[in-house]
Order: sequence, then C-alpha cells, then structure tokens
Amino acid sequence: MSKRPLHEGKLDRAQALSKAPLGEFYETICVNPVTPVIGVEVEGVDMTSNVPDAQIEELGRALANHNVLFFRDQPLLTAEQQITFAERFGDLHIHPAAPQGEKYPELFVIHTHGNSFVNNGADWHTDVSCDKTPPLGTMLQIHRTPESGGDTLFANMYAAYDALSDKMKTFLSKLSAVHDSERAYRGRYSDKGVDDTDVVFPRNEHPVVRTHPVTGRQSLYVNETFTSRIRGMAEEESNMLLEFLFSHLSRPEFQVRFNWQPNSIAFWDNRCTQHLAMWDYWPNERYGHRVTIKGDRPYYRAS
Amino acid sequence: MTEKKVYKGPAGRAQSLSNSRAQGFYESIQVKPATAVIGGVVSGVDMTLPIPEAQVTDLSYALANHNVLFFRDQPELTPEQQIAFARNFGELHIHPAGPQENAHPEIFVIHTHKDSKLNNGGGWHTDVSCDEKPPLGTMLQIHKTPKAGGDTLFANMYAAFDALSDTMKDLLKGCMAMHQSEHIFRGRYSDRGVDDTGKSFPSSEHPVVRTHPISGRDALYVNRAFTTKLLDFEQAESDALLKFLFTHLEQPQFQVRFQWEKNSIAFWDNRCTQHLALWDYWPEERKGNRVTINGERPFYRM
Repeated sequence: MSKRPLHEGKLDRAQALSKAPLGEFYETICVNPVTPVIGVEVEGVDMTSNVPDAQIEELGRALANHNVLFFRDQPLLTAEQQITFAERFGDLHIHPAAPQGEKYPELFVIHTHGNSFVNNGADWHTDVSCDKTPPLGTMLQIHRTPESGGDTLFANMYAAYDALSDKMKTFLSKLSAVHDSERAYRGRYSDKGVDDTDVVFPRNEHPVVRTHPVTGRQSLYVNETFTSRIRGMAEEESNMLLEFLFSHLSRPEFQVRFNWQPNSIAFWDNRCTQHLAMWDYWPNERYGHRVTIKGDRPYYRAS
Repeated sequence: MTEKKVYKGPAGRAQSLSNSRAQGFYESIQVKPATAVIGGVVSGVDMTLPIPEAQVTDLSYALANHNVLFFRDQPELTPEQQIAFARNFGELHIHPAGPQENAHPEIFVIHTHKDSKLNNGGGWHTDVSCDEKPPLGTMLQIHKTPKAGGDTLFANMYAAFDALSDTMKDLLKGCMAMHQSEHIFRGRYSDRGVDDTGKSFPSSEHPVVRTHPISGRDALYVNRAFTTKLLDFEQAESDALLKFLFTHLEQPQFQVRFQWEKNSIAFWDNRCTQHLALWDYWPEERKGNRVTINGERPFYRM
C-alpha cells in the first residue's frame, strides 16, 4: 500500500519524483535536464544535414527518458528539412481537422495573431488522442515568437500515474475512456477558412492507464480536451473521476514550462506527456511549423 | 458492462428504485407506504402496553421492508414505556456525547429552542457511525413540535447503492472508510452544560458498502457527518470520491420527508438509512425523547 501523501513539500513525494531514468549515457548528443521530472535541452544535432543513425538512436533514448526534448541551437528549418528529420522516427501524420498546406500535407502551420479566434491547444491535452492510433510524437519549431509569453507547459504522465494510490492505480487499470474530438474541433479552424460541415470528427476508446511501448512504464492517459467519458460508469461518476484526474495531472510538480525563442524546437512523446499552449500574448503574433509522427494503438499491459 | 443511468426519469432508474418497495404482509399491524422507496406509516400498535410477540415480529419485518417506521397514533410515552418498547428489538445504547436524563441514561433528550447553538443531526448522517458497533436503530418521539417546520428527511441507502454503476459498485465493495466524531461532538453539547474536557471521542473503520445482517442487501455506508477518509486512497482521491458519494446519496429520489405532529414517533433502521433534521423553526421549541438500540459491527459480505 502506498503511504505517499500528495501534499507538496514532503520528502518521500520528492524522492518519488526524482527517480532517475535508466540508460542515461550519450556519445553523440549533449543532454541537460531542465527539471528533474521532465524535459531536457539537447545540443550537438544539426537538423539541416543528414543526421547519423547513432544520433537518431540516442535522441530516441533521450526522448524515452525525458519525454520532451528541446533544441535551441537550430536555424529556421525548411519544410523539407523538418519533414526529413521527423520521418527518421516514423511515418508522418495528417491532422484530421487543421488546415493543410497543398505542397506538404504533413506540415501543420501553427499561427496565432490579432485576428485569431482561438489558439491551438490551450487546455491540457495529448495531440489527437481522439484518433484510433494517436501520434507517437510531435515536433514543433516556432519561427516567430511574441516579445514575451506564448510558453508551452509539458507534463509527465508517468509521474502523475506514480503519484496515485495503489488502490486508485488498480481501479484505473481496468478502465477505458472515450476520446471525442467533435467538441474540440467543430468550428475550431473556421477563422482559417476551414469549412467542417459534414466532417465527422474521430472518436475512439483508449485505456485510462497506457503502457508505453518502449519503456514499458504506465502513464495516465486521459486529458481534458478529448476525454469525455469513462466507460462502464454512470455519467456523474465518470464526471467526478475525470474531474479528479484532470486536476491531479495538472499539478505543477509534474511539469516543465518552456519559454520559446525564435527557432526553438520542442519534440515531445505524446504517449506519456500532456501539454498546454499559453495564449497570453494577444494581439501579438506567434508562428511555427509542426509535424507529427504516427503512433500505435494505445494499450494497457500489467507491469 | 452496463451503463446504468443515475438520472431521474428513465424507466431503468425508476425500476431500480421500486425494487425496494415493500413486499410485506402483516398479521398484527397495518403498514401504509409513505413513499415508494422508503418509509411506512404503522397503525395497530399500543406502545403503552406490553407488545405481543407476533407484533414485534411484524414490526421487525416492516422495519426491514420500509427502513423507517412512522407512528402517528401514540400518546406521549413515559421514559419507561419508550424504553420497554425499544427493548423488544435489542439492548439499549448510551450515547457517547449527548446529555442524558439522570434517571434513564438510555434516554437521549432532543431539545432545540431559541437559546440553542445548534440542533442535532442538521446534516445527513447515520447515528453514531463513529462507534465500533453503531446502533441498529433509533426510536424518537417528539413531544413538542414547532407550529411548522422541524421535518426529518430519511434516505434509503440500498437505493443509493443500487443506483451506482457496476464499475463503481465493484470499486466501493472493497473499500473501508474512517468514521470520526471528534469534529462533530467536541463542544457540541456545551450549551446544555456538558463539559467534554479530557474526553476522547470514538472513531472506527467501517466498510463503505455494508451488508444488512437481516435483509442481506448491500447499502452505501458513508455519511457526510462522520466519514472523513477512504482508507488506502490518497487524500485528494478520497476527497473526490467522498464528495461524489455524499452528493449522490443525498438525491431526493432516495428520500422521504417526515412532518412531525405532537407525539409522532419515527423508528429507523440505522444500518440502511441516513437522516437529516431540519432546523427551520428557530426561535420555536422542539423537544422529544430518543432511545437507541445497540447494533453490531458493520460488515460486507459478497
């Protein structure tokens, strides 16, 4: 039985958070933790050139260990360069709702300005968890940043899971949840000229506790944006449980807050993180390119 | 897995509520259901006299069927008469905190008036669930009622449990909860001259789902007054679950609202009900005698 209190400032809680990841040894990249819990800044990569296999392998390992990689030393990548780099980690994903460039349907343009109605991803979410096979990861480069603001917060869902009681973990491990994008996407891109009449937005069921296919670790896999319902529970019960989980997983001790500079890149693992993009810079502009790597069907396997 | 709606209205929900409708036939008493879900109004009993064995049996069944029995046709009982009647159903209980009538420690005097600082049982509760062996049942006669107000609401905890989803039921069946009374009882009776300095108040762990020893049915057994924590959960998890359960079990479709007249009696089964006493009549007076029957340790049996 877990005796770990959730309250801030307790020693055993701090010890649980600072569990050091395994295989933390890199030859071709330099990795500096931003927080002990999630996020590293990576140096030594040149994304404009053909990145060696050894480096791709180490980047994959760093991603598994730290859940989100930040790069501050890259130039502005062309669409081809960004797509080529991302394709080293898997096939690329076409977003079900967002506007697509004619030439590069894989490229998702992130653009928020004085005439925007909404910004992308302002609530805690994992990207497109409404899909049957949600993306493995996402790579975003911001070309133009506001003078200040526009930070992105990332949260470690392994840590959120670990902080639950054994009783709650056991209960959640048997549950699945509905991820529904209708409420997130309908009309969302109308200010960018997308007409979504007759579009059917994806809706899928996923386990509440997701086993990471690479690390084998368990993470909490419900999010405020897409998860609408716990299966097998009355609506009021489901609301209560989701409300608790959303509030639990958004605790600051699971997070890193990334401050973008022009051409900063974030590359996150969608299977064990959530993130939130702040829109605190209106009417200023923020512009960037996102590419998304296809993932597999989420599953739960008892550890 | 079925997704049972908790909402008011749908037929499935209504069917689940009416499962608790009385099935009883009685030889020596008449029972009229007060609602379809909880409460029976009993006639044919004279509590000033020794109660025949057959009537005790009928009353026990009626209590099991209706969870709370109301009597509107009794005179004001003497403490001896009330104690004698209640003893037909078990040994009597001495309250751990309340003021007692000197000659009859089993009598718990209920008295609220313009100088009272609070009334008894103003929130949903089962009596003294902080005890290791909480009372089986409670019998209250109100001698003085305000002109209007002072109703007591009773809720059926079988129905509250039945209305949960199978997933939630399975989670709760394996759970234990802490019931504490320090926060309830400390200083509570100071306006009646009770000095509780140096006194320690009971606390106990009970199953969240309680199997009724007579009916064998499962009832939800947490209450807002005494239940402070679900064991083996983190505080925030426990808070979320308890908040939901309290809101759930306090829904009107599980309830009867009893309006007291002079000398009305309510006799409730503490093992499968909760109740709440309204204090909407200040500065008027409400006074009565309560006796409480000893119970056993709550358990859950699959």
